[in-house]
Amino acid sequence: MDEQELMRQVQRGDEMAFGQIVNAYKDRIVNYLYQFLGDYQKAVELSQETFLRVYFKANQYRPIAPVASWIYAIATNLARTEMKRARRASLVSLEEIAAHEVEERAYSEDPPDPGLLKNLRQALHSLHPRYRVPVILKDMEGFSQEEIAEILKKPVGTIKARISRGRQFLKKKLAEARDGGKAPV
Amino acid sequence: MEELSLLKKLERVKAPPGFEQRVMAQLSVRRRGLVRRRRVFKLSLAGAFAGLLVVFILLNIFVLQKQAAPGAATIAQETSPLFGASEGVESRSLVPIIETLDYSTEIRSRTEEPRALYLLEEVSDRTLREIKY
Repeated sequence: MDEQELMRQVQRGDEMAFGQIVNAYKDRIVNYLYQFLGDYQKAVELSQETFLRVYFKANQYRPIAPVASWIYAIATNLARTEMKRARRASLVSLEEIAAHEVEERAYSEDPPDPGLLKNLRQALHSLHPRYRVPVILKDMEGFSQEEIAEILKKPVGTIKARISRGRQFLKKKLAEARDGGKAPV
Repeated sequence: MEELSLLKKLERVKAPPGFEQRVMAQLSVRRRGLVRRRRVFKLSLAGAFAGLLVVFILLNIFVLQKQAAPGAATIAQETSPLFGASEGVESRSLVPIIETLDYSTEIRSRTEEPRALYLLEEVSDRTLREIKY
């Protein structure tokens, strides 16, 4: 059964169809939100919330867009809200700042990580979400630029520019890590 | 660019086991909450409407009726000699201004006196005909 038909059934309140959608997308959404937020527990929580919204807002879905884009758009909105909330609540204590500094110093004094994948992950997480999310959607999730533009509610040109800048940043960070033996910040 | 192709090979996290069951459990909890919220909303709407109705009725009884002028039928009823105390005269603020008088005693007392005939003419300061010289 195709996804549009599944969504039609969810719109009628069919829980079996909803279960199939959850099953099909749970790993992708958890992974996407993990890449977005960098926190697995939060990613799982927001994934649950994403699917609940898919069920309760199913009537707002219009079959002009793929189901995947719609679900990813919901997840993106939730992640953005969560990041804003976290930024507002980011009142860190002096102990936390000191602990962070110690951790960074310890890492920079350690020999650089030889694994390219680890460096890539570090570079990806150091990228601003504005660039990180389009790169993840394009290079990890395999969406087209048009689909990303729809998910993020931005013009295609903006998405192209952000993907390009994000990739350049990643390449630069990876080159720094490889040549200078410096860990990406 | 080849490094970026590694992005696809980055370790992908997966949903924890029992994720789907948790979502379905949350779904039923949310749905129950939604039904309860809808019921509360309906009840509060009905309560607000009933409250408005009561306020309107009370206003009608205590304020609007006092301000309204009494109709002709009410005046006639209140000025009638049959208008009894049983109808709550003491609670009314209107005083009847038309009274019935009994002249029979006055006429009876004057029958012994010599009769006098009074001719009543219409007196007018205007002449009906023109004066001729």
